[in-house]
Amino acid sequence: MARCVAAEAAVSARIGVAAPDWRAAIRAACRPLVERGAFERRYEDRCVGIVEEQGPYIVLAPGIALAHARPEDGVSRLGLGAAVLEVPVTFGHPDNDPVDVVLVFGSPDADSHLGLLSALARALLGGLADRLREARSGTEASRLLEGVVSDGR
Amino acid sequence: MGRRGVEDELRVLTVCGVGMGSCLILRMTAEEVFTRLGLRARVTATDVSSAHGMPADILIGQEMHTGEFEGRVPVVISVANFLDKDEMQRKLVAAMEAAGWLAA
Repeated sequence: MARCVAAEAAVSARIGVAAPDWRAAIRAACRPLVERGAFERRYEDRCVGIVEEQGPYIVLAPGIALAHARPEDGVSRLGLGAAVLEVPVTFGHPDNDPVDVVLVFGSPDADSHLGLLSALARALLGGLADRLREARSGTEASRLLEGVVSDGR
Repeated sequence: MGRRGVEDELRVLTVCGVGMGSCLILRMTAEEVFTRLGLRARVTATDVSSAHGMPADILIGQEMHTGEFEGRVPVVISVANFLDKDEMQRKLVAAMEAAGWLAA
């Protein structure tokens, strides 16, 4: 059972991403998961739209943003992505700008992501963002996210 | 909404805009801080609009969300870094002392 869940979760991290602003950075984190069919294209738009409407509250720690929208915004399966930026961008957050690690997740329903988010919190408290920054390839960075997904099963 | 002894389980809300991302991270941090402090707390993560209808002793969120709860929830604290247990603990202890829930 657990293997099935892991197989269904889509994971993708990119490093050295060139993004001119925070909107592009969120899209860069989402795009590989859209290409894999985990998210619809409109999910990207909503991840950006929520920040436009509600402010940069997704910047939850210095340098780190966690973008997401809602299940009904076009999520086919659980997905976790990351874009590590070549040059940090500002979101307009009073304390935590600039941001160079943009994480994104999407959940197909109200519950599927709960284990993943607990695991992500543990990983972030344990220094995940720095390990993503130090990753030498997208594959290495993706492996870090796969570790989070399997920890959250 | 009278004074609540800390021997009772505290009802804590962590809030964010959508209610399924940042506030879950904040809940994990808060749970660790309450454990450190030896306080019993039931921490619920939710979005800002739902939080208005929920009974709470303490509400924790980013400054851009907490202002509207001042005066509605007895103890409201704003944290900048959701991963910084020390920042949250410092602010929580100060606010609970100010409310007379912890001895200063």
